[in-house]
Amino acid sequence: MITQTNANDVLLVCRQIVKSYNGPLVLDKVDFSVKRGEVHALVGENGAGKSTIIKVITGATNRNSGDMMFDGQVIPLNHSRNKAQDLGIGVIFQELSLIPGMTVAQNIFLTKEPFFPGTRFINHRLMNRNAQELIDRYQFPLKATDVIDKLSIAQRQLVEILKAMSMNAKLMIMDEPTSSLTKTEVAMLFEIIRKLKSDGISVLYISHRMEEIYALADRVTVLRDGKLVAVLDKEQISPAEIIRLMIGHKLEENALAHKLEPKDGEVVLEVKDLTSVGKFEKVSFKLHKGEILGLGGLVGSGRTEVVRAIYGIDPIDEGSITYLGKPYKPSVLRSIKSGIGFIPEERRLQGILATLSITHNVGITNLDRLAPKFVLNLKKEGEFSREGIKLVNVKPPVPEQLVGNLSGGNQQKVVLAKWLIRNLKLVIIDEPTVGIDIGAKDEIYTHIKNLASQGVSILLVSSDLPELTRLSDRIIVLRKGKVFTEFKDCVVTSEKILRAASGILEEA
Amino acid sequence: MKKLKITNEIRLGMVLVGLMAVLSIISPRFLSLSNLSNVIWSICIIGILASGAIYPRITGGIDLSLGSMAALTGIIVDMFMNKMGIHWIPAILLTMVIGGLIGLFNGFIVAKIKVPAFVVTMAAKTYLYGVALVVSEGAMLAIMKPAPFISIGSDKLLGLPIPIYLMLTLVVISQFVLKRTSFGRQVMAVGSNEVAAKLSGVDPDRVRLVAYTISGITSAIGGVVLASLTRQTFAAAASGIELDVMTALVIGGTSAVGGRGSVVGALLGAIMVAFIVNGLNLLNIPAPFHPIVTGTVIILALLLNEGYLVPKKLAGGMKNQKQAAA
Repeated sequence: MITQTNANDVLLVCRQIVKSYNGPLVLDKVDFSVKRGEVHALVGENGAGKSTIIKVITGATNRNSGDMMFDGQVIPLNHSRNKAQDLGIGVIFQELSLIPGMTVAQNIFLTKEPFFPGTRFINHRLMNRNAQELIDRYQFPLKATDVIDKLSIAQRQLVEILKAMSMNAKLMIMDEPTSSLTKTEVAMLFEIIRKLKSDGISVLYISHRMEEIYALADRVTVLRDGKLVAVLDKEQISPAEIIRLMIGHKLEENALAHKLEPKDGEVVLEVKDLTSVGKFEKVSFKLHKGEILGLGGLVGSGRTEVVRAIYGIDPIDEGSITYLGKPYKPSVLRSIKSGIGFIPEERRLQGILATLSITHNVGITNLDRLAPKFVLNLKKEGEFSREGIKLVNVKPPVPEQLVGNLSGGNQQKVVLAKWLIRNLKLVIIDEPTVGIDIGAKDEIYTHIKNLASQGVSILLVSSDLPELTRLSDRIIVLRKGKVFTEFKDCVVTSEKILRAASGILEEA
Repeated sequence: MKKLKITNEIRLGMVLVGLMAVLSIISPRFLSLSNLSNVIWSICIIGILASGAIYPRITGGIDLSLGSMAALTGIIVDMFMNKMGIHWIPAILLTMVIGGLIGLFNGFIVAKIKVPAFVVTMAAKTYLYGVALVVSEGAMLAIMKPAPFISIGSDKLLGLPIPIYLMLTLVVISQFVLKRTSFGRQVMAVGSNEVAAKLSGVDPDRVRLVAYTISGITSAIGGVVLASLTRQTFAAAASGIELDVMTALVIGGTSAVGGRGSVVGALLGAIMVAFIVNGLNLLNIPAPFHPIVTGTVIILALLLNEGYLVPKKLAGGMKNQKQAAA
């Protein structure tokens, strides 16, 4: 592929890139190229190797082998962030790296401020003028003297872009740039990307949203399981084709295509027309006893927001919830008291008490049983802890162990354990296995399945499509805050879910 | 055989015993009951204040208004008894309620309005000092009566001053509440990870309100004991004591970012500083040098608490606490 194009047209060439973080290959002989002045989309499922290849290109990590050339220069194996910047590779990460209290100009020229001649004193007037010239060139809605704190997320992204432009970036890498933007902001960003392109700057665009790729990309590279699957030209790009390539046929071959068999026992939870303005709209579904209901959809489709509202973390604007046959007004404390458990999506930020022991972590959701009259029953707490450790097989099985020192998989098991030792009727599980090794993943799946077979109802949110199809008895796909479609009584594949999440309805 | 778990308190206790051994070699006077009781007596106000101040600290906040609060409540209890003629027992109880209300107000601003605790309580330190100046009319007032009130600070029981018993009682109660009650667990959880605590059914705002209220109440107790002990009150009576309290907490292993701590540790920390000062006195080292030594000790204690300077055997996974918190 690469050899056929004229070398002068190509800005970045990666050949046979191999990367492994002590163990399995994350990138397996990947060929990849970006032409001058093109918008190149990089797609793949979670874990396909997208972020790793970005890290390799930007020098955030080093490849094990393979050749890289940028703008005619060979990039040595010991690449670094600074060298990438010097070469003209700019990145806009999802988490922006601006300093909140400083102005736009100060951020753009950070560490390369213009000085008064012969001194080391910053010439603020010149710096502001230079920044304003840069802003005006792209007609951004910004002023050089605006303080970052006061800007919207979209405006901050623009500052990041300017920062890269001020270093004469030839390649701009954007990692899911639209995930927190409004519609009009997305339209503005697209305009800017087109303008960059017309200036001869290449854009490497990573997104899960097919419509964006369709609208923007000149070429698409599809990765799957660390391997290059295909490079599509503009006329070959269609959402359905990209999804087919991302998922591949491995699932059907492995008989992982999952036959959904809905349970129709007693209804435990019924949600009707649930609405939270700006997050989700008129979401309705029923959950039966012992059923695992999967909630699918892209990040930002409202899945997490819906389950948070049901558990009582965020308020609901309209709609009703019926739990165990009675109207239910959610609050976290009421949910815990009435047998609802909640395993949040971000283990470190929302799940564990890192500085405390396994025992204290398990104890915190059980204070009602451990201290009905204020004073803790330490003996009982120890029993709970040992019971929890045994139940989910935490390693090492030491109750005094600080949870922050456990591996990711074992931390997640502790989060499971603190709920499983309660008498639950409903568990909400949001992304149960992010960043967990395969062995621990399988164990967690077994626990979830066991729970359901004991009659506990489970509301499962997952971006991991094989996980969602494997565990669920029924799947609802959300899109842009609304229920898009429901899968039940049929054979479901990752591809079907992803197509639905991208807005493609199955022909009946 | 069950292995003895090396806790922070045990480690501190060992350091303390070592320190005592060195000091007793330096000066035979050190180990006399009167010297030891004097040293511990000298930190009893710090101990009383620390037993409450530890709660805001473990939630990840701080209460810097302790000193001003103690001085103000000393002035108030004197006013109740000697100007308004209230009996000493209700006067003390009423003063404690006032301390609690001031703490509650601090807690309200921290928990509900989300102003950083450092700013809130530093402001409180200033304005409460102002209130104390106004109420006392800027004067230093001597307290001569009632006799039972004076005896709180000056009488002895079994050879030891009563304030020591008061301090020990408060330390024991506070340690019990911290380690053995649901409230104590909630305080630790909020300091360790507020979001996770909230999702587990803890109400972080309520926990903070109560934490600052407790600190207010113990400040009032400290203020009352201080007034009785010194037989005088004035607006600057306890100025700067908040730093001594924070020092005791730091040496005692209470995390600067929250999530762990021990009242017994804080007491041991305060005693350690007092022993060091005592040792310097016994060695006839001039007072201006003392802060240099105590400041150095704080740094060493911090390193010790983070797991540096400790043989692996004694560390017991301690070094990882920092990683765990990161």
